Amino acid sequence: MKQRIASLILFIFGVLTPYSYGIQRFPKPEFETGYVQPQTSMPSARLEFLAYLDVAVLVLALSIVSWMVLKKRSRTGVFWISMFSLAYFGFYREGCVCSIGSIQNVSLAIFDLSYAIPISVLAFFLIPLIYTLFFGRTFCAAVCPFGAMQDLVAFKPQPIGIRLNTILGILPYLYLGLSVLYAATGTDFIICRYDPFVGIFRLNASFGMFVFAGILLASGVFIARPYCRFLCPYGVILNWFSRFSRRHMSITPSNCIQCRLCENSCPYDAIDIPVQSKDPESKQARVKKLILISLIMPLMIVAGAYAGLILHEPLAGIHSKVKLAKQVLNPPKDTKLADTFEMQAFKSSGKPQAQVYQEALLVLNKYKQASMILGGFLGLVFSLLIAGRMLKKYNPDYTPNKGRCFSCGRCMDFCPIKPGS
Amino acid sequence: MKMFNPSHTTIRILERIALTAGLFAFVLCILIMVNYYQLRRSDPLNTPGIKILVERLNSNPEDEQLKQQIRELDLLARKAFFTNRWQIKTGGYLLIFTIFVLVSSLKTIELIKPRLPVLPSDEKETFWNNRLLNRKWLSYSGIGLLVFALVFAFLSYRQLGKTLELSATNPAAAKGENTESVSPTANQTGAVSDSSSVSDTASATATAAWASWDELKQNFPGFRGPGGNGIAFQKNIPVQWDGKSGKNIKWKTAVPLTGYNSPVVWREKVFLSGANNSKREVYCYNALDGKLLWTTAIEKIPGSPAASPKVNSETGQAAPTVATNGNLVFAIFANGDIAALSMDGKISWSKNLGLPKNHYGHSSSLLVYQDLVIVQFDQSGNAAVLGLNSTNGEIAWKTSRDVKVSWSSPILVNTGSRFELILVAEPYMISYNPKTGKELWRIESISGEVGPSAAYADGIAYSVNDYSKLAAIKVGSNPTQLWESDEYLSDIPSPLATSSYLFLPTSYGTFVCYDAKDGTKYWEKELGSPTYASPVLVDGKVYQLDKKGVMHIIRPDKVFASIGEPQLGEGSVCTPAFSDGHIFIRGDRNLYCIGK
Ligand code: SF4
Repeated sequence: MKQRIASLILFIFGVLTPYSYGIQRFPKPEFETGYVQPQTSMPSARLEFLAYLDVAVLVLALSIVSWMVLKKRSRTGVFWISMFSLAYFGFYREGCVCSIGSIQNVSLAIFDLSYAIPISVLAFFLIPLIYTLFFGRTFCAAVCPFGAMQDLVAFKPQPIGIRLNTILGILPYLYLGLSVLYAATGTDFIICRYDPFVGIFRLNASFGMFVFAGILLASGVFIARPYCRFLCPYGVILNWFSRFSRRHMSITPSNCIQCRLCENSCPYDAIDIPVQSKDPESKQARVKKLILISLIMPLMIVAGAYAGLILHEPLAGIHSKVKLAKQVLNPPKDTKLADTFEMQAFKSSGKPQAQVYQEALLVLNKYKQASMILGGFLGLVFSLLIAGRMLKKYNPDYTPNKGRCFSCGRCMDFCPIKPGS
Repeated sequence: MKMFNPSHTTIRILERIALTAGLFAFVLCILIMVNYYQLRRSDPLNTPGIKILVERLNSNPEDEQLKQQIRELDLLARKAFFTNRWQIKTGGYLLIFTIFVLVSSLKTIELIKPRLPVLPSDEKETFWNNRLLNRKWLSYSGIGLLVFALVFAFLSYRQLGKTLELSATNPAAAKGENTESVSPTANQTGAVSDSSSVSDTASATATAAWASWDELKQNFPGFRGPGGNGIAFQKNIPVQWDGKSGKNIKWKTAVPLTGYNSPVVWREKVFLSGANNSKREVYCYNALDGKLLWTTAIEKIPGSPAASPKVNSETGQAAPTVATNGNLVFAIFANGDIAALSMDGKISWSKNLGLPKNHYGHSSSLLVYQDLVIVQFDQSGNAAVLGLNSTNGEIAWKTSRDVKVSWSSPILVNTGSRFELILVAEPYMISYNPKTGKELWRIESISGEVGPSAAYADGIAYSVNDYSKLAAIKVGSNPTQLWESDEYLSDIPSPLATSSYLFLPTSYGTFVCYDAKDGTKYWEKELGSPTYASPVLVDGKVYQLDKKGVMHIIRPDKVFASIGEPQLGEGSVCTPAFSDGHIFIRGDRNLYCIGK
């Protein structure tokens, strides 16, 4: 009975909530100086249907870009849609909800069954992947506001050399692994926390993030799309999916005449150049190497898992429970540093220290497994990347690399063959 | 003659605009950075100038001119602060606008003057080379990453896990004591902590006839542990077992006579009692292998009634749990017989306290305090609390109680400055000096046929009973009620308190967690079976046994978190007892030891 009454009261309050208004808890101070107190205003919650509107805009934008790239072959069209996305998903929606960040929601939902992932977030994760599977990375081309912003400033793209490209190319895998690790363990959403662009969209970046974003954009003038190529964790997944895309864009609308005009047109080093000569390595040597790598592969996974295991404590260090346990265990000598909000909350809660340690231990145990998986994953990534570089790759024409190409459409304008000609 | 080329002019204009915008943006960036630096350093509320003036005002509080001066200076400092903020904000908007102009002009130039194809130099066939380089650098970066991980792990190796494990089992030994929360009950010691302000005189004479508080803590000397407050101090308590398959069950022994009392542990001995209408017995088991070491019949006691009293079947003749001080074991039965037995089962003294006038049957458990055995003897008409001399059974003190009959047990707590004995029965919660029996304070907090005992933590005692209320009482000579609730109430199991939470099991099987200080309900959990046993906090976890024999191991936290729900495979109504690494559970028929 009591529960029914409680539910009824809850219901009534629930119904009345939209009509309630904020009231001042304490009387406002009165000034003799003529200062006028500002009105208390309460921001209203975002209407639910707007979340679905975002999904609808996403689908629409993806469809139009895919059509622009594949059918119309219009770089200008792609550019204007990217401007729309920058305005809508960037400045209007303030960079949230975003597909890159949705990786974390999905990871958390998989590992923590009590977390209910919002449908719109799931849609932002899945829909670009589905489109990529059909049309390549058209999402990167003009729908992702982060990509659009970097694309806008890529004025003087320079090739960065094979070495740097290879080394920096590892970072997205690392970032993906870490963000999944931290999201799945309920530690933090690091993609959102260290998002360089959201602060710009919301015009409220902290100084550090402002500098980071500034550096990224400034370097983006010469190294096109640095975040997309060397950090974006969603890009890793899109890259995998795009390799299997059914209808990826092509540089030429018809047959490649190998005029070489497009060879240097891609600011992202994403064009595969035709290879005419034979692999200088003998078939035997290659087979030998492949056997070697398949033997080394498990070893690399184990080595990665071991590295993850020994690093699990530093990795867990950013978890709030571990942080607190560390502070309780070894309070900093500087009292100012020791007086953190967490410490204050802990002290006023009167929670037993043993409980703090126990909770941190539970987290550490979780991290032991999770870090090993992360390490193993990175080991696998390395071995697969190396193995991929060993497989014979015969390329008769100038084609965009299906994994790396952002489908921006720049190279199409460099092709002298026009549709129908 | 030079031809006029409009696009050429436009490009030149645009280039100029871009250059100006770029320069302007650069200057703006620098200005914003300087402003930001200034803002970070400024602290308008603590300006040194104002501080000096305020100090001067303190010595001359009537100086109106000085006050005015301070106000003006304060306003100035605040204005400067907010102007600074305004500048940064406006600068930010301006910067964005400038960058917009810069980017637009550059983009327009791009549009007017499209990039022409740059014919690549003729070094063909770098593909195989590149691939080789690529492979090489991938391997280098992999090895580099691994080496980095190893070096980093080596440098940051702190053995955090091990330290935490050690500290979790022995937090006092760990560095960084939670000094602010070391109020008498802020740590897990809960009921009676070793606050130095309260000297347990027993410790000073630990070799005397009674056990020190430390010794009591190392054992499980009575119902709901030392002090009877549901908090035990043992470590490495198992969280997994299965009675059916025998997993993690060290031993299991049948108990001869029924009794709804709970086991009590002292070193390697486990004590219980059992009775029927004609026999009353105390049992001692070897904690290591479950062997029944001795059985002592409590019989032929002068003054003992010829026939056992009529009792409720759910109470039985042996509901009170025995208590021990390490020298003697004390047991009381529904007919008022009380006896002290040596650790090897010899009766040291015995007597009859008179047939308790109790319509369900006497069920209050005994409690030891220094050289006393405390008996809560609440009966219709003549309720009292007694302190019996533990060595000879003589009444050291007796205090009458103007309360109704009850079935609850006494708890002994350290309230910071003294030990108090807290008893609940309609209509009061009353605190006594355990040494003299003198009443310290009382408060009306409870009604009905009170079954659950009180709980205590951090200066707050809790009473609860069905059809009454759950009340949190701030203890002290002027006790006050802090909060109450009547949503969930218990008539048999007792609550468990920590400084943060109050856990309340109900006999119909709901387990509820409240904020200890303000009664906010954090969560409730249906256990899935009625529950008569009381919860115990041990090893950082709450152990709550239900009637079906399922142990609900719960993390004491704001949100419900189950650590495990191992099954005994046999019903139970008794509260478990603990020793390091072990749990002792009295099932309906058998006594179990869980552990390795
Ligand atoms: S579309 Fe062409 S220019 Fe754009 S990323 Fe792909 S290959 Fe490079």
